[in-house]
Amino acid sequence: MKQTAIEDRAQAQMQPGVITRDGMLGSDTRRLVDILVEDEAAVRRLGTTHLAIARRMRQLRRAGAGGLGNSIPVGDNFDVIVDGVRGRMPCPYEDGTVSKTNTRVTNRRLEREILFTDLHIHMIERHGFYMGRGSLYRLEPADVVAILEIEPEPAPPLT
Amino acid sequence: MLADILTNFPVREFLLSVGVLCGISLFLAIVMVIADATINYYGKVKLRINKDRELEVEGGRTLLTTLKDEGIFIPSACGGRGSCGLCKCKISAGAGEPLVTELPWLTAEERRDGVRLSCQVKVKNDIEMEIPEGLFSVKQFAAEVVGLRNLTYDIKEVRLKLLEPAAMEYKAGQFIQIEVPEYELTDEPVYRAYSMSSEPADKNIVEVEVRLVPNGICSTYVHQHLKLGQKMTINGPHGDFGLREGAGEMICIAGGSGMAPIKSILLDMLRTGNQRPARYFFGARARRDLFLLDEMRQLEEKMPNFKFIPALSHPEPDDNWQGETGLITEVVARHVAAAADKQAYLCGSPLMIDACIKVLTEKGMPTDQIFYDKF
Amino acid sequence: MPDTLSWFTVLFAAVFTNNILLTNYLGMCSFLGASRELKTATGLGSAVIFVMTTTSVLNWVVYYGILKKLGLEHLRFIVFIVIIAAFTQIVEMIIDRVSARLYAALGIFLPLIAVNCAVMGASLFMIIREYTFIQSLAYGFGSGVGWTLAIMAMAGIREKMVRARVPQGLEGAGIALIIAGIMALAFTGFNGMMNIS
Repeated sequence: MKQTAIEDRAQAQMQPGVITRDGMLGSDTRRLVDILVEDEAAVRRLGTTHLAIARRMRQLRRAGAGGLGNSIPVGDNFDVIVDGVRGRMPCPYEDGTVSKTNTRVTNRRLEREILFTDLHIHMIERHGFYMGRGSLYRLEPADVVAILEIEPEPAPPLT
Repeated sequence: MLADILTNFPVREFLLSVGVLCGISLFLAIVMVIADATINYYGKVKLRINKDRELEVEGGRTLLTTLKDEGIFIPSACGGRGSCGLCKCKISAGAGEPLVTELPWLTAEERRDGVRLSCQVKVKNDIEMEIPEGLFSVKQFAAEVVGLRNLTYDIKEVRLKLLEPAAMEYKAGQFIQIEVPEYELTDEPVYRAYSMSSEPADKNIVEVEVRLVPNGICSTYVHQHLKLGQKMTINGPHGDFGLREGAGEMICIAGGSGMAPIKSILLDMLRTGNQRPARYFFGARARRDLFLLDEMRQLEEKMPNFKFIPALSHPEPDDNWQGETGLITEVVARHVAAAADKQAYLCGSPLMIDACIKVLTEKGMPTDQIFYDKF
Repeated sequence: MPDTLSWFTVLFAAVFTNNILLTNYLGMCSFLGASRELKTATGLGSAVIFVMTTTSVLNWVVYYGILKKLGLEHLRFIVFIVIIAAFTQIVEMIIDRVSARLYAALGIFLPLIAVNCAVMGASLFMIIREYTFIQSLAYGFGSGVGWTLAIMAMAGIREKMVRARVPQGLEGAGIALIIAGIMALAFTGFNGMMNIS
């Protein structure tokens, strides 16, 4: 499917060495728009939305920030570590910068852990982008929903 | 058949065709060269900076590049593509209207004030502009890696010797920008900022602490590929974090890669014989996250009024940790009773700094005595 | 026959009844790419009008002045495209100089004018139809205006369609081509109205 000029530019900025070391697309050879469409379908099948996922990530990040770089329990099931370094990271869609903050969430019951950055939150919230397949930093929507225990919510009607 | 073609080959027509094609192409090429030299040539223009500095420069390139070639380094992290918004400057005349690419980075107030992204402004006419005075002391340096040391599993200490120019004048607490060695994919170099942990008296040496960031473009390179003897390009000094006047006790709070500017300030105090009482609260998770403990103990011995207080929030059983435990904000609250007469120096993420400010103001510290270096 | 056609007839026909995009279906690619926003469409259209008019004239002069005189009519394809490419480059430089904003807005579409088959098509049509100098000028200008009007109409329709319920498989290129097809259908009504060949 043909993608817009904005997506072309964003995809160019997701290449290795432009904003991040290994890029944001991993070994994925698909076009950006195809990656987005498939992940959107996956998210809808999981019974939730990009906004709900981003909202939960932000919630855990906010709760974990009180640990000031050290692990802090959140709720009765999560351990969260939030830390960061100097500088800001530009979003490949050229719509803003985010701080370089990493959030590591451990789900004690499932004994699973997930690491995400402020850039992940921004890109999921604004663009529905979870990184390309094969990238070390890819967040599979299924994993995110499971580990962060995101409740399904009724999807808005396809108006 | 082939023989027929060869014997009946219309040589005259062939040569004529080729000749005419070459002639027309040559003519067009000349026209293009003339057009490039005239239409694209903007000639020399004047840049008037801060009302009192005037530069005569070649037009036709971006303001960011033009200034860089004149030795003025406006901060940038995206290689001049308009995706980081760091290269802002105020332009009162000569740059036209903001481009579509600049608008997302400018607030309404900035737009009214004439703030632009210097990587998107093309120098075509005389320009009247303003930049922070501090930028004039920023220079570019060629440096060589003379020391590499692992402080923890994810923090590397990099020691650079300045080659050309051979000395940097800076204040303890400032930071530098390192040019990422593999930036060929963008038009302009890509920079990453790191605080200096060396003492300013050693003008020839610059030391930074680089924390490994997942998928980081510079930190991954530093941790995996940087070798002793390798050359690097840096620019600096930047930033306005540093020791301020005062006699009250200094409360320093920083952990991880935030230690660098505090270390620089402490070393500077030792060098200048500053006897001011100071306490440095260093927060970490477990023993393996602690580093430079020996250096801190040495500073304690040499500066009797300095105390180093590390605190672990989750010490491992075999850490055998006898020191303070808990969150750093709790430890500070325990140790500092009244802070009305003290000064604070904080370095870290905005969240951490806000949390510390809350604790300190609750203990009575006036907000204008709290100095911070926000990531 | 061409000699008796007034330049005005040629111009009017090129814009409406023999629209180079909607009747001859030339110049579709930039049409599809740049027709999302009315402002970009108008900017690109102006550049195309300028390039089409001047290259038609230039090509006419080169064809009848050099190629025909030397019996090298067969070279017209290469020569025309080279002239169009060079000229587009110069237009790009001029736009950059005069309006950085328009230059940034048009972006990749400026050099794409060079390979826009409508520009080449106009030059070739004027040769096939044996137009005089004035007729070529009118035809080049008219074709440019016709192309621009088509792209503006398309942009207007697509701006309105942003909120429409397009079936998922047809989003983007699919629905754009359908719209173009329907517009072209409307223009077949003009077939034969005016004979400018």
